[in-house]
Amino acid sequence: MIKTAPSEYRVTAPRNLGAVFGRVRTSGPFLWILPAGLCVLFIFGYSVFDLVQQSFKYQGDWVGFENFSLVLTDPLFRTAIFHNFLLLFTVPILAVMSFTCAVLLFETRKGMKFYRSAVFLPYILPIPVIGVVFGQLLQLNGALNSALRAMGFESLALDWLGDPKQALWTMSGIIIWKEVGFGTILILARLISIPLETMEAARIDGAGFFRLHLQVTLPQLRAVILFYIINESIVMVSWVFNYVYVMTNGQGGPGNATVVSELYIYRSAFQNNAPELAATAALLLLLATLVFIIGFFRIQRNMSKGVFDD
Amino acid sequence: MKITGKAIAAGSAVAVLLSTFSLIGASASVDPKKAFPTKPVTLTMWWWGEQEAPGAQAWVDATVAAYKKKRPNVTIKTVLQTTDGLVPGFAAAAAAKSGPDLQYFWGGIYSQQPGWDGQIAPVSDYIPASELKHYINATTELSFQGKIWTAPWYVNPSFPVLARTDILSKYNQKVPKTWTELLKVCDVLSKEGVPTLAGGVKDGWFGGWLYSIIGGQSVTNKDVVAAVVGKQKFTDAKHADWWTRLQETKDRKCWNSDINSLELYQAQQLWKDGKAAMTVVAGPDAPNFANAVGASKVVVMAMPKWSTGQFAGKMGSTSQTIGITQWSKNKEVAADFIMFGHEKAQLDSWYNLTGSMPADDRFDLNSVKDPVKKALFKSALPGAPYLENFIPAQLDADAVFTNVQLVLAGTKTGKAAAADMQAVMERLRKTDRSLVKNFTAWNK
Amino acid sequence: MTKTHTPIERAGITSRQLILILITAMALVPGYLMVTGSLKTQEEFLNSPWSLPMNPNFQGYAAAWNDQFPTWFKNTLFVTLSAVLLTISLAATAAWGFANWKWKGRDTFLGILISLMVVPPVVLLIPLFTLGAKLGWISTFRMLILVYVGLMLPFSIYLLTNFFRAIPVSLIEAAKIDGASDLRTFRSVVLPLSGPPLITLTIVNLLWVWNELLLALVFLQSDEKKSLMVGITGFQSRYSLSIPTIMAGMTIATLPLVIIYIFGQRHFIAGLTAGSTKGE
Repeated sequence: MIKTAPSEYRVTAPRNLGAVFGRVRTSGPFLWILPAGLCVLFIFGYSVFDLVQQSFKYQGDWVGFENFSLVLTDPLFRTAIFHNFLLLFTVPILAVMSFTCAVLLFETRKGMKFYRSAVFLPYILPIPVIGVVFGQLLQLNGALNSALRAMGFESLALDWLGDPKQALWTMSGIIIWKEVGFGTILILARLISIPLETMEAARIDGAGFFRLHLQVTLPQLRAVILFYIINESIVMVSWVFNYVYVMTNGQGGPGNATVVSELYIYRSAFQNNAPELAATAALLLLLATLVFIIGFFRIQRNMSKGVFDD
Repeated sequence: MKITGKAIAAGSAVAVLLSTFSLIGASASVDPKKAFPTKPVTLTMWWWGEQEAPGAQAWVDATVAAYKKKRPNVTIKTVLQTTDGLVPGFAAAAAAKSGPDLQYFWGGIYSQQPGWDGQIAPVSDYIPASELKHYINATTELSFQGKIWTAPWYVNPSFPVLARTDILSKYNQKVPKTWTELLKVCDVLSKEGVPTLAGGVKDGWFGGWLYSIIGGQSVTNKDVVAAVVGKQKFTDAKHADWWTRLQETKDRKCWNSDINSLELYQAQQLWKDGKAAMTVVAGPDAPNFANAVGASKVVVMAMPKWSTGQFAGKMGSTSQTIGITQWSKNKEVAADFIMFGHEKAQLDSWYNLTGSMPADDRFDLNSVKDPVKKALFKSALPGAPYLENFIPAQLDADAVFTNVQLVLAGTKTGKAAAADMQAVMERLRKTDRSLVKNFTAWNK
Repeated sequence: MTKTHTPIERAGITSRQLILILITAMALVPGYLMVTGSLKTQEEFLNSPWSLPMNPNFQGYAAAWNDQFPTWFKNTLFVTLSAVLLTISLAATAAWGFANWKWKGRDTFLGILISLMVVPPVVLLIPLFTLGAKLGWISTFRMLILVYVGLMLPFSIYLLTNFFRAIPVSLIEAAKIDGASDLRTFRSVVLPLSGPPLITLTIVNLLWVWNELLLALVFLQSDEKKSLMVGITGFQSRYSLSIPTIMAGMTIATLPLVIIYIFGQRHFIAGLTAGSTKGE
């Protein structure tokens, strides 16, 4: 990447006094930022403000913490949050799989481009499409099971989405299927930018494939893997509605086996006529993601520092 | 006034009050004989029904066209909704106070709740009582404190069980009339790898059907509403026993093994394709199913009896309805269109296009020649109340749909399911703070 | 890697190659079933889902296209293009404000802005819906576009700020010395240099808006305004008795993306990696 200049050179100073847009110039950066700033403030600021208000009211009347106690004591809400939590377990799997895929691609010369495109393809497909297609393939008598049965693996032909015991795991499998491409590409990009000498030196020292990548490559990828992990954690907590909605006819079934917090909020508001409970649940979800927001903020700060002050 | 009220009230209670007053004003001043508007009027109708009464789309198109001839200044736009989208779609539209003028509802609670929530205007304010009295099921299911919320459109005999004698006799079985007989058939057929009953609960709806046709045998709608408001319990034997019956169908392998991964309409095809002996279909669609297989090989009946209850062995009867939305600017035009749909020409054309029964006692049953249809229509006329329509929709979705899925997946017992239903109901009475009041008033 | 390999090394290479082939197959199989399924009849699909369609049958495509796909496409195209264009213009000016001047609290401000990327969209759903209902903006494109722009801005600003900071300062100083205004510097020096990140950003945002379901589901109620993703979700339940038609619809919905992907793969990858690899 292009070498960055020290920022002090660009510290604001009176300049360009003779230009046409005098007023605009002298007002500094703020007019530049204003339109975007207003938009962001409106979308996020207004929403959070209104959300807090709504969650303390019932049909316009102030009810204190009543909504909170109703939501927090709702077994379904707890189940939904628990499912989001369980989905977090796919994140380490994703990280390991992405790392492995990236290393394999990195070490491959023949057909690397093709493999790379293929591995990445699922990531660009629309989730509703993925949901619909997988929903059809994973029926008890669907394509996957008919293939398994033909190969003699009768006992592996499970009711993937119909059995409450594994529906959530099936769903995580599908999420992994889609998300692993992203991690692979991310890690691969970083891998390619590692100076070759580092690896060559290790190789000359006699490091084998596994030792090389676990002891030399992996530490170099720490930051990017961390970024990926945080990013995917966010996905699991707040961006799985589409999968569930499409694959379970908007029900989160069988039973409540795949209800997640987003679906809980959506259904409270638009199916059960309880917008105040939906708002409360949304506020609680926001508080829960605050942990990630702070983590993200830190990472970004460190990274920004790298860019800004190098 | 619920989603409308709550959603909007957060920001501007004043606006709600104002709009409520103006609406009350409007409905009070309505005179059905008021001069029909001559200005161009456009109405939007969101509807459903092609799914269970194929041919309904053709009828809607024809009726809209015919109405255009009668009232050239009125244009009606119709939008067919999906099964999963019907309820949430309207809820969101109601919260936004924009959307259709005419909205389709399932009967009973699905027509009541929007009224309680202030989303629709009672049709009895716009349609004269002398006309409404002909609409089948209007008073049993749809009236509330002297008003009738929505107008019945067509009758849904709910829900007929279809049995194929060709498949049953292949294994030396007769059509089961009682529960014990049904389970015996299941024993025989499951050994042969043939499902006795074809069903699909992935999308949930079938759970509500099963509740009504199995659970409805031991209770009345009064009992159910009593359990809703807390005077009885869903764990009382007469409310809970059906869950054990349901578990028996699972234990005795009555169903197709993929019942949990198929949608209802997909599963019914198994029966059509000769892969299952019996199935349950929507009333309006039953003749089509029977005729596709060959009416002589099909017996249309109520669910086999297990209880001595008042409604055991009887088919339920419910009417699907059309309502007029609270925010519609042309309520009397909307009502005029509804009444147009009940004129003789339209009643006959409904029957001809869909083969199902219009919800109007002026429809001439003698014009029905098809024996399957005739039997079906007669069974629906003094029919039992359709149970699913007397519980809150959220209880249906959160306790019935889910627990039926779990019992049929074999991960929950019937007893546990009943306990869960009771627990969900108790919770619901807390979260929906006007539920008890409304249900009590409805069931007076 | 050297030319000669020991047998162990060779075994290693072969097994790695095999694993890659397996992974690739897994990535491609659903797509294969979708496309081949769309060309079969219902019976063919149920009986032999894996076979190639021997007598391609285009009825599924006809049914899908004669449904409302053209309308959905038009709507999605309009929403996507407007939202993305608006986002990029706003983000570019804002990023320039962050990059060109150093001011107190800038890094914190930028940090907060960027962390907003993490806020779950569902959190915004109810307040914005209530507001939209009050304004009568439900089922209008402007509401949805506004929400999308707000949601895309944080990442977009972040990406562009990083890029603008990396523009050699000598170029900018040269323009300044020539007496160019900030606006002119931005227009004639910064933007011409920013082709690659702008393309990248366009693609990344395009992908996001095109595929978004939750907000579109709630904000676009009326039938004429439905987006492609909302459309295909309902499409699935309407055609549940004809899997080939469903698959044909899914194929149609995916095709534009795959085409953009094939031609713009480089930018896709650049865009998605940009968020993480800068500054290490």
